[in-house]
Amino acid sequence: MTFFMVKMAWRETRAAWRHFLYFLVCIAIGVGALTGVSIFGTQVEHTVTKEARGLLGGDLEIRLSRPISPKGQEVLDSLRERGIVQAHVSELVAMAARAEPSVSGQPTQIIELKAVEPPYPLYGSLRLEPSSDLAELLRHQTHGCPDRTCFGTVVQESLLIRMGLMVGDQLRIGQGLFIITGVVRTEPDRMANAFSLGPRVLMSREGLHAAELIKVGSRIRERYLLKIPNTMAPDPLLYELRGRLAPDAARVSSYRDAQPQLKQSLEQLTRYLGLIGLTALFVGGLGVATSVHAFVREKLQTIAILKTVGAESSTIIQTYVLQATILGLVGSLVGLGTGVLLQQSLPGMIAALMVSDLLDQLGFSQGGMELPLAPLAKGLALGILSTLLFTLWPLLTIRDVKPARIFRREVAPLASSNESSPTRWWMLRKGLDRAKAITSVGVGLGLALLSVWQANSWKVGLLFILAFAAAVVLLGASARGVLMALKKWPRPEALVLRQALGNVLRPGSQAVSITIAIGIAVMVVTTVSLVERSLLAQVGDNRPTGAPTFFFIDIQPDQAEGMTALLRQRSSDPNPRLTPLVRSRLAGLKGEPVTLEAMSEEEEQKEKAAQREERRKKWYLTREYVLTFLQDLPKDNKIVQGDWWKPGQVFTKPLISVEEDAAKQLGLTVGDMLELDIQGTPITGEISSIRQVEWGNFSTNFYMIFSPGALDGAPHTYVATVRVAPSEEVALQQAVVASFPNVTAINIGDVLDSFARVLDRLSLAIRAVALFCVLSGGLVMAAALAATRYRRLYESVILKALGATRSMIARSFAVEYALLGTLGGLLGCALASALSWAVLATVFDLSWSLQPAVLATGFTATIILTMLVGFLSTYRILGQPPLSVLRQE
Amino acid sequence: MVLPAAGRSVTILDRITFDIPAKQTVAIVGPSGSGKSTLLGLMAGLDRPTSGSIQLDGIDITAMGESRMARFRREKVGYIFQSFHLIPTLTAIENVAVPLELSGERRAGERAAELLAAVGLSSRMEHYPVQLSGGEQQRVAVARAFACRPPILLADEPTGNLDSSTGAHVIDLLLSLHRDSSTTLVLVTHDATLASSMQRVLSLRDGHLESDSMPSYSEFTDDVATGSTSKDRVSSMDCSSSDRPAESDL
Repeated sequence: MTFFMVKMAWRETRAAWRHFLYFLVCIAIGVGALTGVSIFGTQVEHTVTKEARGLLGGDLEIRLSRPISPKGQEVLDSLRERGIVQAHVSELVAMAARAEPSVSGQPTQIIELKAVEPPYPLYGSLRLEPSSDLAELLRHQTHGCPDRTCFGTVVQESLLIRMGLMVGDQLRIGQGLFIITGVVRTEPDRMANAFSLGPRVLMSREGLHAAELIKVGSRIRERYLLKIPNTMAPDPLLYELRGRLAPDAARVSSYRDAQPQLKQSLEQLTRYLGLIGLTALFVGGLGVATSVHAFVREKLQTIAILKTVGAESSTIIQTYVLQATILGLVGSLVGLGTGVLLQQSLPGMIAALMVSDLLDQLGFSQGGMELPLAPLAKGLALGILSTLLFTLWPLLTIRDVKPARIFRREVAPLASSNESSPTRWWMLRKGLDRAKAITSVGVGLGLALLSVWQANSWKVGLLFILAFAAAVVLLGASARGVLMALKKWPRPEALVLRQALGNVLRPGSQAVSITIAIGIAVMVVTTVSLVERSLLAQVGDNRPTGAPTFFFIDIQPDQAEGMTALLRQRSSDPNPRLTPLVRSRLAGLKGEPVTLEAMSEEEEQKEKAAQREERRKKWYLTREYVLTFLQDLPKDNKIVQGDWWKPGQVFTKPLISVEEDAAKQLGLTVGDMLELDIQGTPITGEISSIRQVEWGNFSTNFYMIFSPGALDGAPHTYVATVRVAPSEEVALQQAVVASFPNVTAINIGDVLDSFARVLDRLSLAIRAVALFCVLSGGLVMAAALAATRYRRLYESVILKALGATRSMIARSFAVEYALLGTLGGLLGCALASALSWAVLATVFDLSWSLQPAVLATGFTATIILTMLVGFLSTYRILGQPPLSVLRQE
Repeated sequence: MVLPAAGRSVTILDRITFDIPAKQTVAIVGPSGSGKSTLLGLMAGLDRPTSGSIQLDGIDITAMGESRMARFRREKVGYIFQSFHLIPTLTAIENVAVPLELSGERRAGERAAELLAAVGLSSRMEHYPVQLSGGEQQRVAVARAFACRPPILLADEPTGNLDSSTGAHVIDLLLSLHRDSSTTLVLVTHDATLASSMQRVLSLRDGHLESDSMPSYSEFTDDVATGSTSKDRVSSMDCSSSDRPAESDL
């Protein structure tokens, strides 16, 4: 780096800053998208780590899916002697009913109930209104319910709104009567799920007891939150408890791995948003390359003069590389500013995803937070490095400039380079010399490394860059093909059309680079819409017509008959189905015992390192299996191996039908023995068939089905599915809650609506980042058009001098831009279809279907936007008076 | 020298051989298209002959790589164009400073200012080329060509784009630089009067050297006789075309 390069770089920038505006903005937009996403990701991650104890609810958490055994209780009691503080929390889904009739609001509502005891919460803070002591609000109430005992309850505001209640009103839950004493705003340890069945209701353990909701086989989550003395290390206790509580099938976790799912999903979200940001940056990079290429073409004379006065090619190239780096730096700095602004708006969008307002729960507020330096530095580095990578190729043409040729003007400048195609440096050609070959390999590698760095994963990063490169090559090749075909076509008669077509087809028209930029932007945005629409179609439109309206869960065996009668009477469904449910865990496979949770530290490390496939296998081993026993094969089930039991078959031993995937993961086949632990009682059966299950059919589906009679005597509950007309829904739900207060009604429609809402918000966040790709694409087009501005100006004034009107020239421009938009839109939509197919098939395991509405919208919007960008970049040309322009020539 | 043109190759220069002793002033004349400018470009190493060799200051430049050639040009050759070819984005002083800066000269700015003062442009140093008249632009170009005190000054029709009085001014300037610094001066011209004021005239026609004459008798005649050792032979040329079709880069 010599003094000359620095001076020359500055002088060239000073003279051509207008030219570099596009350059700057292209980089700024990409860096902005990237940085915004990664600042947000980092801040959330920091917060999650900082609030890990609050999120888990303690230093350690013991979680069970059924009430703890007396032996287990002894273990817990022994902990108290060691100075360990504990709080018992029970969570379940239940129904709340209004105690007094009212005109507004619905009479019954599904709720997520949580019963707590002091000193809950051990960590984090519970925001309540009024902000008094929780125990005080939940305790036995003497005012308001004169004739019987009742407890206080604190509920989420949405419950009040839905049921038309106010603080002070009464609420009936199970057999208990409660008085709403306050509203809960945030709760530190509520699982940050995107889905929730209903609003939160907090009560005391005494209250839960009074409600009499917990029966044998009820769905319940028992949590014991532990706060250990400062002097005690959590890990030894963790492994000790895992060992001692293994018979209870308890899951013990420490705050260090708190909310792994939450962390993972946030990580995934920011990773993919980040990759969309990287797409915006790379599309902007194409714009940078176009700008630089146009710049070099404009500078041919200067380059020739510099060579004449003794400048080496390498000096000139280094000078322009330095200039590009400075511009990349400035663009990236502007991008960092944009990123900070984007990051301010992302939390709002993402917060809306979480039922419990996760970010609020974490005490997350972007205002009071320090900007993390790492994402800023990363954004800056990514911006500058991409600038360098995208400018190297076009700058290499400087070597081909032969001064004598330029001055002689007898032969074409850049004789050894291809004058007609500005995009040629995106495609490998025959006859690349060594420097170009090395540079292209270097640029490719560099971009791949940047992608890996951004994705934070070799696999995802390489997949991304391969997909990006494939899209660029496909778009470039298709655009070339179409242009070549158009060239062969006879020129149209009409002057406007001929002029427009001529502008697209002429040498150096930039049509290919514009098509690539537009195509990629269209591809990203349309893919998001296509995937969203397919997911919605899957749960909405494709819902089978016979799908049930309600699932009623936790029906006790003694309520089964009454429930069937009530459903028959209150719904038009002639055959409401009651299916028995038995909850179990795997105890043995083919005679080998399955040990659960009693993992040593060493094993746990191994487990963490295990591949996804291994973890999946592990999930099948340790999960809870809900079993049933049935006479008939459920609908949408298909036997793929073995036989379903015949009517009237006599069973000498229990037979089991296993779902295909579970059988595969567990390595089971017909004839194998399977041992299950049903709430402490082992039962062994032989596998008699393997089934294929249509999981998306909105019915009760099972991994394992036992032969009739095999589970007699095992503790079980029933689930009822019923299909009713929309007008009957409220009345039916009310009737069930009145007769069977412990039974919970799940309305499929509500669940699907909430799924659609979450999807909608998720795609809003994705679209916000994808918008940056559209901006980049538009800018690339504007930059490319700016590169042809002088030629256009010259041509349009000649046409005017020959008698063309302004509107005629405008129309020819319009046709030209529409043509470019059509090309980019068509190719982009085609690629979006391919990409959405890949996403649906690999990520969601769904089949692809043509979405004409989405594609048509994407296509039309592309043409409109293309014409808009085109006009904004060139309208000033239209007003130029011919003589002043021609005189300058 | 063969060039590709419209897909066919055209022989521009053929079998040209001459030596120029140091400090001589030479005019290259000939009708349009006779290959004068190409010859000058070859002498500056801006282009490469199809076959033959060119020596500058005793060094064969024909086989020199592009980078070495550029450095060599920086030290040895000043080049002046008919249409000035100043860098439009730089001011007058910056244009003059470029070769000095390329050589790593620390006082590039001061030296450029001195040079501009020497060509009578000290009041127009911060002007951009478009703000200067043709004569002024050519004086800037002369200052630039002379910035690194090269022993050889090559000028391609330096007065071609100027009116006669401005042109005379520029020629006076070139000649005075030649006198003061003992520079070898080779210029291409259409102007017979200008040509006759040079010590030697090379006349080209259709790519051939038609005549090589000494029109005037000046004090330098002695130098030619005494200075024709190989060391002082500033420029020697043996350049011819081949019958083979042109290589792609020529």
